[in-house]
Amino acid sequence: MKHHYWEPPIALYLFLGGLAGGILFLSAIFNSFVIPGYGEIFAMPVLISLVCVAIGCVFLIIDLGQPGVFWRVWTTATSIIKWGATFLVIAAVFALLYLLAYLDQAWPIFAPLSQLLLPAADFFLIVAGFFGLCIMMYTGIMLSTLKAHAFWATPALPVLFTISAISTGCAAVVLSIGGWPAQITLESLLAAALVLEILHIVDIVLVIAELIVLLTMVLSFAGAGNVTAKKAAMRWVKGSYALLFWVGMVFIGLLVPLMMYIGGGHSAASTVVAPILVLCGGCLLRFMVVNTDDRADIPGEIRYYNRVLSSNGQEFTTKWEYGKNLF
Amino acid sequence: MTRYVMVIDQRRCIGCHSCTVACRVWNKLPLDIIYNPVVSEGVQGTWPNVHRNWTPLLCMHCENPECVPCCPSGASQQDDDGTVWVDPKKCLSCKVCVNACPYGMRDASHMENRMHRFVRKCTFCRDKRQLDPDAQPYCVETCHQKARIFGDLDDPNSEVSKLIGSVKTDRIFTEFGTEPQIYYIPCLGGQA
Ligand code: SF4
Ligand code: SF4
Ligand code: SF4
Repeated sequence: MKHHYWEPPIALYLFLGGLAGGILFLSAIFNSFVIPGYGEIFAMPVLISLVCVAIGCVFLIIDLGQPGVFWRVWTTATSIIKWGATFLVIAAVFALLYLLAYLDQAWPIFAPLSQLLLPAADFFLIVAGFFGLCIMMYTGIMLSTLKAHAFWATPALPVLFTISAISTGCAAVVLSIGGWPAQITLESLLAAALVLEILHIVDIVLVIAELIVLLTMVLSFAGAGNVTAKKAAMRWVKGSYALLFWVGMVFIGLLVPLMMYIGGGHSAASTVVAPILVLCGGCLLRFMVVNTDDRADIPGEIRYYNRVLSSNGQEFTTKWEYGKNLF
Repeated sequence: MTRYVMVIDQRRCIGCHSCTVACRVWNKLPLDIIYNPVVSEGVQGTWPNVHRNWTPLLCMHCENPECVPCCPSGASQQDDDGTVWVDPKKCLSCKVCVNACPYGMRDASHMENRMHRFVRKCTFCRDKRQLDPDAQPYCVETCHQKARIFGDLDDPNSEVSKLIGSVKTDRIFTEFGTEPQIYYIPCLGGQA
């Protein structure tokens, strides 16, 4: 392995994309099936998902080698990342329409536009939620189709990413529900409180499920089978990633929030700290998975690249400037 | 039909790296890009019973490449003669293909202008062959030991067809279903 081909912007994009998808998915479900009629309390969560999509897209495009031609992502039929880009755009457009439908509550100047969009607001959120679900699944499926990387090429990965995306989405909704631009009424406060009660239980279930899938995936890779995946998993279980994995992801990102959710009742620990820890855990998960891009080595390959990239070689290659060896 | 393949006779390769140098010079590669490294696990065995194998590598120009269908921009493509190549004008440098290749045979140079990067890989010297259909890739021309042999597998009289038909050949990582088209005649040890 020479270096990581995908750098931190990609991991961040996968996290933010999943987070946005999770927020839209949960908002759509609650708005349409659980407490219909209080759409304005989901305006802030939807706004947050839009910000996530925007930041994620900026990172994604900046990471490209030729950002100016990013639209070429839509020029072939077979590629899976074309689907990701499409889902992202559709979800973002419908989320924006939904947000506009409630914008007049804070800025009356938007009233004509909002009045026009309001009758269709539930529909917008359903579409955005559906494509949000697609984004969540896509982020994992995209990695799991790259079968050269044993640690990614498992059906457990899309499951893990989807659960983690919903649970981070859940945390973000908990933190933001009922916020600007919604006008606070007693009814909407009650509706928001009801949603919070339900999300509290939902997130407990999701965190437990995520813990199970994560441990199953990592420990089963560590226990058996493919040599490359085993080497990667061992790094997580007791190698250089062990501290991040056990303390960062499992303990601080999952177990601590779980205990706070269960024991914390309505304290700040359960309503503010736990969701923030869940968000941090989800972000860490994406970084660790994207960095675990081990490929099976061709015998002798590592030795070769270690020599090329040795301190001497490194100095030689980094002192070279673009255009110098062209003649 | 034409199907270009390469046979690599590991019994002949002496690990001189001339092919690597020739490729880099003629294809004007940036320093952090190597299309055809010649790798080795080092000296094996205990003195005096020692041997050392060299494995010249390059893109396997897979019959069923992982790196082509995943490309969203259509830059990564395969010719009818089997050559897999990247069109630098179309490539976004999204690096999906780089991650998809099981052999690690693609990368974008980190030494080029940050806003104008594209993925590079061995092209079986496609541009050279376009000028002269009978031309051989630079690494093949350079190999003084004739360890790299290039030719058309669909032509029964070509040297590669005769070799693949008569000698036992190996291919790398066939378990991915990529049908790699670089055939190795293994060195069974015995050389120092
Ligand atoms: S030029 Fe020929 S002998 Fe030298 S390393 Fe390359 S393949 Fe081996
Ligand atoms: S070796 Fe890699 S880059 Fe070459 S054709 Fe096969 S999958 Fe593509
Ligand atoms: S890096 Fe270039 S060639 Fe590779 S998949 Fe992306 S656009 Fe295609």
